[in-house]
Amino acid sequence: MAYSDKVVDHYNNPRNVGSMDKADPNVGTGMVGAPECGDVMKLQIKVNPATHIIEDAKFKTFGCGSAIASSSLATEWLKGKTVDEALDIKNTDIVNELALPPVKIHCSVLAEDAIKAAISDYKAKSTVETAVTA
Amino acid sequence: MQYFEVLGLAPRLSLDLKDLEKRFYAKSRELHPDRFARAPQAEQQRALELSSLLNDAYRTLREPIARAEYVLKNSGFDIGEQRSKDVPPELLEEVFELNMALEEADRPQIEAAGVRFEKLRAEIDQELATRFGQWDQAAETGTLAQIRGLLNRRRYIENLLRDVNVHLSN
Repeated sequence: MAYSDKVVDHYNNPRNVGSMDKADPNVGTGMVGAPECGDVMKLQIKVNPATHIIEDAKFKTFGCGSAIASSSLATEWLKGKTVDEALDIKNTDIVNELALPPVKIHCSVLAEDAIKAAISDYKAKSTVETAVTA
Repeated sequence: MQYFEVLGLAPRLSLDLKDLEKRFYAKSRELHPDRFARAPQAEQQRALELSSLLNDAYRTLREPIARAEYVLKNSGFDIGEQRSKDVPPELLEEVFELNMALEEADRPQIEAAGVRFEKLRAEIDQELATRFGQWDQAAETGTLAQIRGLLNRRRYIENLLRDVNVHLSN
């Protein structure tokens, strides 16, 4: 099966690979996986607490080319968005952008799950933080 | 559930493999083409179809994991497409760490991980056996959901063991 040029590009030059401090209150971490293919994806966002804008995003994915490309693209899209705007990113957007074939759609679903997980981790942390300081 | 029916069994997750084998041979003899040599065409055809179903049934039911997947599929559980919600976060964390270790190709770490994952798989198999018994006592959907969760974990660990072996053979 041939990968699209965009998948190959993200696979060969993945954007924003790395990790951030999980303990940082402004960092949200999403760890997701797909048992049938053994993929694991970690996606992190760093949010400016005053503006709710995602200032940085990092990922590390162990999986196929499409899973790596999906999460790489997700980090590109996340940067500069507010947390609420980021929640609007749909797996179908990723499918369209990367021209993923039907058998690889679950990779985009995984990336969407990772975004949602990172945001909900950040939100859970920032609520606790606010409660403590209030 | 056809596979159990063709072997004359009620749907059960814990099966006596000796008994299963005996039933398989007895049924195979019953359906042997020689016995239908003079039978009408339609009956020969029917025996052939049943015989093929019987083979599939035996192949599936003698393997506990395949058997459980068969029961899950026939109880309305989708075992193909799955989301990460079905996997406990600690396992993902562990899988992620092992992948990191594999990437850095630190041999002693990989060997230790291999041992740990084999132990984990054995523990899962033991818990599966318990859950199988539980379902056989009272066929509850909740038990099947737990079994599906265990099977997911098991698949992750199988994949990891495969990766471990690939790295160790390099």
